[in-house]
Amino acid sequence: MRKNILFIGVLLGVLSLAAFSAYSQEDIEFVEDSAFTDNMRPLPAFKHDEHNEMAGLECNECHHVYDDDGNLVEDESSEDQECSECHGAEGDEYPMELVRRYHLNCRGCHLSEKAGPVACGECHAKAP
Amino acid sequence: MHAIYNFVSGPLAWVAFILFFGGILYQLISRAIMAKKKDAFIYEYWSFYHAFRSILHWIFPFASTNSRNRPVLSVVTFIFHICIFVAPIFLFAHITLINEAFNVSWWFLPDGVADIMTLLVIGACIFFLIRRLTQPDVKFLSNAWDYVLLALVAAPFVTGYWAYHQWPGNQLVTILHMLSAEILLAIIPFTKLNHMFLFFFTRGYMGSEFGAVRFARDW
Repeated sequence: MRKNILFIGVLLGVLSLAAFSAYSQEDIEFVEDSAFTDNMRPLPAFKHDEHNEMAGLECNECHHVYDDDGNLVEDESSEDQECSECHGAEGDEYPMELVRRYHLNCRGCHLSEKAGPVACGECHAKAP
Repeated sequence: MHAIYNFVSGPLAWVAFILFFGGILYQLISRAIMAKKKDAFIYEYWSFYHAFRSILHWIFPFASTNSRNRPVLSVVTFIFHICIFVAPIFLFAHITLINEAFNVSWWFLPDGVADIMTLLVIGACIFFLIRRLTQPDVKFLSNAWDYVLLALVAAPFVTGYWAYHQWPGNQLVTILHMLSAEILLAIIPFTKLNHMFLFFFTRGYMGSEFGAVRFARDW
């Protein structure tokens, strides 16, 4: 009986840890945005921390903030927001503007830095 | 690979589109001038009504005797020509690239539909190849360049299908896809593929001469 309780306790502990880590900031593994409800392609695999450490990126290079005049606000970042909050084209059947911004941000950087995936299937890879 | 990708998707794409649109303009203008000099009657005989009447009869399957005599070829070419235009222009992946570069976008096909259209183009190309190889009159009229041209038409669709389905080497194939499409665009105005825009003039003239001068049908 005691063994069983111990086992269930350990199991619950492991499960809650797994659930917690799956939703924590540290373990982002895909580029996702709630504005994409009907995905045309598989989500791009993206290990957030691993990528940014390797690329040497500051948070606000992607999580940037612009003021009302369209100027970049230095030293501020927008991690608490989804990209679509600013870049979602409202009223569109498909958020083309959001696709555009994602591609320009990710692929644009890969092209100019000559590093990282650039062809469609390299990011939007089907599950093996 | 990034350098090649950048080159093929950037400067080479510009060269291809300039040759394509510039080539079409050059062919139309130079031929219009040549006709004025050598065959001035073309301008006199030209009749828009008879031209369109003939074009419509030759553009739809079974609307001309020639087409009714070759039912399978008629259906295959009709589907082929629709798909070769519609699939690339209304493909989501192409529109999103144009949107990134120029901030313009338009309606797109569901990927599944574009996929089927791509297969129809490839299938039609195989049909044309077999026809060239087996049908005596067509075989007699075919030279090596005709087969190369057919391969060049099929190449962007084969590589596009390959890249979309992410078969092995899809990064390289994506580059080959862009490259083959650029080669195709660049040669269209300067090869027999220029029937893409000259058809309307050759057919239109035939329609005019037969309809407005000889008072006869030409379909």
